[in-house]
Amino acid sequence: MKARSFQYLTFEGLKNVWVNRLMSVASVGVLTACMLLMGIAIAFSFNVDVIMGTVEDQNVVMVYLEDGLSDGDRQEVEDALRAIDNVKNLEYVSKEVALDSITQGFRDDQKLLFEEFKGEENPLPDALKVTYKDLSLFDETTGQIEQMKQNMKISEVSNKRDVANQVNSLRNVINIASIWLIALLMVIALVIISNTIRITMFSRKLEISIMKAVGATDGFIRFPFMIEGIILGIIAAGVAFGLVYLIYRLAADAVTGNLMLNLNLLPFGSFAAIIFGIFLVLGAIAGMLGSLVSIRKYLKREGSEFSEI
Amino acid sequence: MLKVPGAMLPLIEFKGVNKTYDNGTKALADVNLKVSRGEFVFIVGASGAGKSTFMRLLTREEAPNSGEIIVNGFKLSKIRHKDIPLLRRTMGIVFQDFRLIPTMNVFENVSFAMRVVGASNREIRRRVSNALTLVGLGGKARSRPSELSGGEQQRVGLARALVNNPTMIIADEPTGNVDPNMSYEIVELLSEINRRGTTIIMVTHEHQLVRDFNRRVVMIENGMVVADNFDGGI
Repeated sequence: MKARSFQYLTFEGLKNVWVNRLMSVASVGVLTACMLLMGIAIAFSFNVDVIMGTVEDQNVVMVYLEDGLSDGDRQEVEDALRAIDNVKNLEYVSKEVALDSITQGFRDDQKLLFEEFKGEENPLPDALKVTYKDLSLFDETTGQIEQMKQNMKISEVSNKRDVANQVNSLRNVINIASIWLIALLMVIALVIISNTIRITMFSRKLEISIMKAVGATDGFIRFPFMIEGIILGIIAAGVAFGLVYLIYRLAADAVTGNLMLNLNLLPFGSFAAIIFGIFLVLGAIAGMLGSLVSIRKYLKREGSEFSEI
Repeated sequence: MLKVPGAMLPLIEFKGVNKTYDNGTKALADVNLKVSRGEFVFIVGASGAGKSTFMRLLTREEAPNSGEIIVNGFKLSKIRHKDIPLLRRTMGIVFQDFRLIPTMNVFENVSFAMRVVGASNREIRRRVSNALTLVGLGGKARSRPSELSGGEQQRVGLARALVNNPTMIIADEPTGNVDPNMSYEIVELLSEINRRGTTIIMVTHEHQLVRDFNRRVVMIENGMVVADNFDGGI
């Protein structure tokens, strides 16, 4: 295609977006909704990976002791734990130390809330922090410790592997659900875009019939519609990206300020480029496919293609 | 591209052409016809006789069921889909309903045909103004189609058909939506274009017009060529 034709047809495509603005808004809306969900899923997935990473790095199990345990009883538990081959290190975390470490994560005014739990009122148990030598024996060793609960004064054995597994299965559920949801929304977006383009084509039937009569190639006729579709896709990508950013900021503020959750979400900038790239490519492809679907039938048609419109 | 060599061949040749539509309507039967370069041919016949099918075969909107059509060196029964635009660039088509784009002015309507073939802006300006002068609308380049009479609108249609310098003009009832005295003007214009060397194929059912202009007349009835005064009167 000649450069001047390219320029002329690109301008025509841009013009179509404006002329059919109502349908353009509908197309962009559906495509944006689709990308928004995808963006949230991607952002979640990135953060889960980070949380999982820190959880999995900690090769640690907490053994919580029953309340009011004597030093002798505690010593007995410690000895039993040291006797396990895979135990590398043992650290006693008293309830006072545990409360201090929780309190440290908060601002000074919030810290006041924990004052009343100090001393006798402290609800936290004493604990032993057990570090393993070999991570591959994690489940086996944890099983051994669990068995000790039967004849020793251990109230609970907690390891972050449980949390990790839960987070992991939650992530799988979200991934599968979002793939289906996104696929469904993509189909809807394609249908809406191809309808938008069909309306453009209908309103430009006269022009297309003249183009065909004066010898326009299929590519020439198709080009402005493809541009229109791509522009719709790119606009949707921009809007969706902005919305994902806003939602992520709100979510990050809510999570960081929450007393119950001790989480720090990744900064948006660390994966913004990936999300924007995916949106752009997806938007352009969806827009182009939508326009090709609707124009294909028209270009293939033979007979009265321009003598009757 | 399937082109037949030799400039001396007829511009248009129909050899034993048959066309039956999918619904069983037999539109053309064993049509044989030759049109040489520079001719002016009226195609006449009652409605439903097969004139429109003849035109559609000529512009390769339809393909024949059997027989061969050669137009400007293109064998239309074997032409590839991608070569059809090249065939159409050799012809200028004039429609009964003018087919002017209402949102474009006269100049833009004519230049639209040149955009399709990728002409430069300079060339567009020069050739469009020449074509508009030829059809007598040099002063109305900025007018919208709605501001023009039927005759003037059809002259814009003619300018658009002419602007790419086609070897033939195919006019389908060009005077059908124009009042009678304007009809003569349109055919006069076509005759002028023909004098400059362009072949003209014009479908019409206005017998008076055909009689007054005294050109070759091909009469189609029930899908067959029943008369052709190519070698002496009808």
